[in-house]
Amino acid sequence: MTLEFLFQLFGTTVVVCPAILLLLFGTSTLLGRPLGERALSRLTEGSVLCGLFSAIIVLVLMLLYDYRHVPIELGHWVILDEEHFHFNLKFVFDRLSVPFVILTYVLCGTIGAFASRYLHREPGFNRFFNFYAFFMLGMVISSLAGTIEALFLGWELVGLSSALLVAFFHERVNPVRNGLRVWTVYRIADAAFLVAAIMLHHLTGAGDFDLLMGTGPWPEGTANLSQTHALFVGLLLLIAAAGKSALVPFSEWLPRAMEGPTPSSAVFYGSLSVHLGAYLLLRVSPILEVSPLLSAIVVIVGLLSAIYGAMTARVQADVKSALAFASLTQVGIIVVEIGLGFRYLALIHIIGHACLRTLQLLRAPSLLRDYHEMENAIGSHLPREQSVWRRFMSERARYWLYRYSLERGFLDALLFAYVVRPFTKFFQWCDALERKWTDFLAGGESRESDDLRPHTFSPEDYL
Amino acid sequence: MKDSLNVTPTAQDCPSETESPARGDRLASLRYQIEHAAHLLPSQGPITAFVHHNTLHAFQQRPFEEGVRKGGELWSCHAYFPEERYRQELESGRIRLSDLEAVLREAVSDRVEEPLIATVMQFELRLAMLKHRIHAGDPAELNWMIAETNALRQFRADVPVVIRKNLIESTRHWILRDRNEVFAINNKANLISENLGRFSQRSMEHWTDDQWEAFLLNALWNICYTGAKNVERQLRVVPLPDLHLPRHRNLLLQATGEDTDLPVHELLIKFCSAFLDQGFADWHMPNRQRGIYQTFLNLYSQGGTPPVEWYQQLRHECARLIDAKLDPLESIDESLSLLGVTDEEREEFLTHSLLALRGWFGMVWQMETEAEWMPHPAPKESLIELLAIRLMLDRLVITGVARESLHFEGPLHEVRANALKRISRNEPEEAIQKAFVVFQLAQVCGWKPEDLYHFTDNQWLILLREIDTFSSFERRHLFHLAYERRYRNATFDALINHAQRRNQAAEPTAGGMRKTSFQILCCIDDREESFRRHLEEVDPSCETFGLAGFYGVAMYYRGSNEAHYKPLCPNNIKPKHYIDETPLYSLQQVDRRRAETRRRIGMFAHQTHRGSRSLLGGLLTGLVGSLAAFPLVARILFPRTTAQFRKLFDKIVETQFTELRLERSPHDHAEDGHLHGYTLDEMANIVESGMRAIGMSTPDRYSDLVIICGHGSGSVNNPHESAYNCGACSGSRGGPNARAFARMANDNRVRHILTDRGFIIPESTFFVGSFHNTCDDSITYFDLDAIPVSHRPCFEHARDQINEARKRNAHERCRRFESADLDLSFDEALRHVEIRAEDLSQVRPEYNHATNALCFVGRRAWSRDLFVDRRSFLSSYDPKTDDAEGHILERILQAVIPVCAGISLEYYFSTVDTEGYGCGSKLPHNVSSMLGVMSGAASDLRPGLSAQMVEIHEPMRILFVIETTPEVMSRIIEENAAIKQLVGGGWVQLAVFDADLGRILHYRDQHFVEYKPESIELPTVGSSLKWYQGWRKHLDYAAIRPTPLSNADPISCS
Repeated sequence: MTLEFLFQLFGTTVVVCPAILLLLFGTSTLLGRPLGERALSRLTEGSVLCGLFSAIIVLVLMLLYDYRHVPIELGHWVILDEEHFHFNLKFVFDRLSVPFVILTYVLCGTIGAFASRYLHREPGFNRFFNFYAFFMLGMVISSLAGTIEALFLGWELVGLSSALLVAFFHERVNPVRNGLRVWTVYRIADAAFLVAAIMLHHLTGAGDFDLLMGTGPWPEGTANLSQTHALFVGLLLLIAAAGKSALVPFSEWLPRAMEGPTPSSAVFYGSLSVHLGAYLLLRVSPILEVSPLLSAIVVIVGLLSAIYGAMTARVQADVKSALAFASLTQVGIIVVEIGLGFRYLALIHIIGHACLRTLQLLRAPSLLRDYHEMENAIGSHLPREQSVWRRFMSERARYWLYRYSLERGFLDALLFAYVVRPFTKFFQWCDALERKWTDFLAGGESRESDDLRPHTFSPEDYL
Repeated sequence: MKDSLNVTPTAQDCPSETESPARGDRLASLRYQIEHAAHLLPSQGPITAFVHHNTLHAFQQRPFEEGVRKGGELWSCHAYFPEERYRQELESGRIRLSDLEAVLREAVSDRVEEPLIATVMQFELRLAMLKHRIHAGDPAELNWMIAETNALRQFRADVPVVIRKNLIESTRHWILRDRNEVFAINNKANLISENLGRFSQRSMEHWTDDQWEAFLLNALWNICYTGAKNVERQLRVVPLPDLHLPRHRNLLLQATGEDTDLPVHELLIKFCSAFLDQGFADWHMPNRQRGIYQTFLNLYSQGGTPPVEWYQQLRHECARLIDAKLDPLESIDESLSLLGVTDEEREEFLTHSLLALRGWFGMVWQMETEAEWMPHPAPKESLIELLAIRLMLDRLVITGVARESLHFEGPLHEVRANALKRISRNEPEEAIQKAFVVFQLAQVCGWKPEDLYHFTDNQWLILLREIDTFSSFERRHLFHLAYERRYRNATFDALINHAQRRNQAAEPTAGGMRKTSFQILCCIDDREESFRRHLEEVDPSCETFGLAGFYGVAMYYRGSNEAHYKPLCPNNIKPKHYIDETPLYSLQQVDRRRAETRRRIGMFAHQTHRGSRSLLGGLLTGLVGSLAAFPLVARILFPRTTAQFRKLFDKIVETQFTELRLERSPHDHAEDGHLHGYTLDEMANIVESGMRAIGMSTPDRYSDLVIICGHGSGSVNNPHESAYNCGACSGSRGGPNARAFARMANDNRVRHILTDRGFIIPESTFFVGSFHNTCDDSITYFDLDAIPVSHRPCFEHARDQINEARKRNAHERCRRFESADLDLSFDEALRHVEIRAEDLSQVRPEYNHATNALCFVGRRAWSRDLFVDRRSFLSSYDPKTDDAEGHILERILQAVIPVCAGISLEYYFSTVDTEGYGCGSKLPHNVSSMLGVMSGAASDLRPGLSAQMVEIHEPMRILFVIETTPEVMSRIIEENAAIKQLVGGGWVQLAVFDADLGRILHYRDQHFVEYKPESIELPTVGSSLKWYQGWRKHLDYAAIRPTPLSNADPISCS
């Protein structure tokens, strides 16, 4: 057994484990024979342990033999020579991806164990674990992706499962509305990502990060792009990252995402998927180095998000929103660190923050008991400290700042007024034109559906 | 919109100067209306002190049936289970057909014998509608069923063979006889022949049964449809009832599909949660003490508003209200007139405006009226102020939606009229729905098509009206009555049979010969029923009692490790005494250091908690956050071990040896205006009344050891933790009460006082206080050092028996937990419940009061050795020691009936409509303002119980069975308004039990009616285990004949 073979074997296992899990869950559901609770949690457990140990073995081997860059090829799937396009599944184990994939497995595994008890007897148990399998596969693919296409694949899986999990309780209105909102923001991020990926292809001829980011292993690579190209591509990727990580101005979706069951909120929006944007920036950090302007913009966006998050977190009176904004604050700081070039620091920060926040979110329902215990220990009501800033602010300024934080920076209102509304107005205008045209052709009212109202029949009446 | 706003204030200013008294009256009546409507809001206070109460408390002065109807109408909630659920219970035998027939017979009592029309009996018609799934549906769906399914080819599957045969036979006879008439062209049967073309008339005589069946069903359908169609118009009393939707929102929602409540609520939820916050947010609302109205206006009239229309308008409006110096009531008055709400509509409009966001509005009302003990109560008038803000926001949004979606630019008060015009009101096709019901009924009842064919329009009208009258609501009501009847009769039968056997058995053996080994007094709680039963099985020579779990010690209590006093008594009692738990006198010096360490740790924890959410603190905690992975993984994968480890650590800093400062000393009198401690006389009163209540009024009743056992429940990650605690201690743990009671009863000076009064507790009797954690089934004993050496063996014996009993109790509880295997051993079961209590991911640490259904007040002898499946509150009472008027009973019932009714009714409503009355699923709950839970990111506050708490509950009104005479009971009902309301209004069921005669009198319609037993069977088993093992669902009654002590081997269960 050569070293090469061992890397190939365990590297493949890391990726394949969640894929098999999804395959099992998905097919059994599609065949109309969903697995039972016990089978679902056992399979999840097995898959996570298997993946986690393979990842650790890869790490140990890399440390032992001092490898810093281990690519795993899973075949060329599409080759279009004339178009100079090829799509190959390539995964890379390096100093960035290995810690991240291990983090993914540890958190997903813990959450899987948690959820299998937390969701016991819940009618959507099977659905939850299907989404969970989607999510884990997406996270593993994104962390290990060696090409920008593979990263996009994982990115999409994560986005889809996140949005569906926000809308997990689909019999109520709010989760569905908020799920749709999250989905919309993700779509914008995805569009930016896709454009960036195509641009990179055009610029370098391939989507492999090795080619894009130069030859050195992460984080020492240098991008072979001109400054303008780097800026343009970088900005698109920044939009993608901002959407995914809820940076300003997309931030308001993050607290809205707290609609699903507590464990999904914890692992998705508290820890893993909210860091995915930052991870993307880390992955393409050589581009940032090329353009100082781009780095500056990244720092500014991160800083704004951090300050925004810290301010809004201070006024939130419900625990999940407060934790969501607290997460945002740290993601903002992480982005600042990336912009400033402290990549290892950013990686350590991501890992530490993800673990801490997951624990905090999982324990969110304990809030009352925790505060009660603290009060008992202190022997009085909890002290409410006045902020240092208070002394320097007039009453007006305090009012203004308080309302600004309470209204979450008016971000959604502004986005709605200046982006969404013009957009929908335009299509409503198109619709009006079409209606005129069809009315003209029909010589009268052409839309019968206008008169139809959704009619619900319920055999059970309140009276 | 601006015009209307600028004009009105001036227009209103003029009359206000001249007619100010009238205006004053108007505002006063407005205030009255709002406060009146406020009583319809949920009355659950802060979730940290969860007190079970009737969810429909506001309707309690009406009878139950009317209350659930009114409440359901107002809150849009269900009063009963869905019909399908009851029908499943019918199929599974939980409801017997005989129950259904009995309740139906009562409901139609006066008309039961006479036919409704022709051969149709009302009773049979209704019974058929109850028994059979009569499919109802949308007209489109029914059309599809008729065209595409076998509905017109084959009888329904539940039509008996006999009926099928008879129908085919009679139809064949009719058609062959009257063929010419039926198929004649100009006959009303034209419709029949038209649709029946595919049946060839010529070969009719040789048709098979299947062909006849199809023909019959086609004919039947056509007859039903024609019949219903012909009278459709007459059937509607009013052609189309006027749409009565007082709120603009509802009209606009129907007219445009836009919900004006969405933006209003989004803002109000944010605002309310920040305003009511009890100390979670770091930054509290500036100048909150000025009240909701002023704070809101100040906040939203500030400059620097983003250039978004909605916020700009809001700012202008707030500024206008400030400038106009309108107070909240005036603002409400103004909003109402601007919205065009007439004086007659006002109260209704206000009520619905309050109830649209009832969780938060209710909490504001609670914080304003009942929560002076919270750190940040709401100022007076808060509800009115919030309503003023709400109506102002409503106005703004309605104006916007009217303009955008309704394209209506006129004044605000015309919006409703305009919206009403836009609501298309097509008359729904109802004939097909009605016809389809008759079509199905005809099959299952065997009505002949010929008879229906000859029905006159008038007869059709009677039939269809009758079907309409017996609506889904009425059917569910009857199902519910049958559901209750089944359980009630089973209970009566079991009690009667059990009592008779006991009466027979008692004579020869002359029980009580064996000396009682020890006695234990538990709370009346239904969860203690199984604990007591197992204890009696383990040690048949012990005796158990039940008494409301605060044991008469109503106090504000503060533990040695606690910061605040909390009330330990039912919430309708206001305690006068303050009791502290302190470290032992000799250890106080040492403990001061401990307290300081605790304080430091607490401060550090608080700083970390807050810090992790801030900018720089978060950076620090984030960088070392990887350490959190250890507790994260450990707590989730190994909850029990982690908890043991944590307890070890807690032991270092917690005070170990404590005592209660129970006695009032002259020094600490009134230093903080509170009464600390009890006088000896007060203690004597408490002990005497407690012991008398359970019938221990003579010295010979006492054994050497009496254990007093309080209870509570400890679970993690559970915002509703308080709801699991003792209901008689206002949602706190009842351990201190038991401890205090035992200390009082042991005090020699107290005994002397009692002896002087002629109430003698033997000198040899010793009391021990203890605490039962119903979640992990652990028992803690208090003040063991005080046990005399002579009593130690006795205590050790009792402790061993209790240890065995709690394991078995855990085992019996585990049968309800699907995640616990059915073949666990006793020890494994105990471990299982211990894990549950410490598991962060466990949303059902225990099932709390779920399945409660019964409350037995009387001597334990009649319920002892009877398996009641943890469904009964058990209150001890001995009529033999009471006076003729039943004054002891009266005192017991004054506490027991309201407390148990509150628990039962809260469970009832949260079960029948978990989303409406309950708080929905626990999984997305989000603690807000430290006061309650929201579902998800931002929702209305959710009072009530969660789906996970009630999933195994059977919603029934609690049944009280009281060992007394009808005369005594009637007097108590008459003289206690609270009891009269509950019992008289049918919010609870009640019966009195005469043990000697083995007779039960059921209280109904203000009379006691003797119950006629339906069964003389009561299964007998050797132990509880033998009866419950291997089964997860509800169990019937069984008598337990414990194996005699001599061969009391521990029952092996694996």
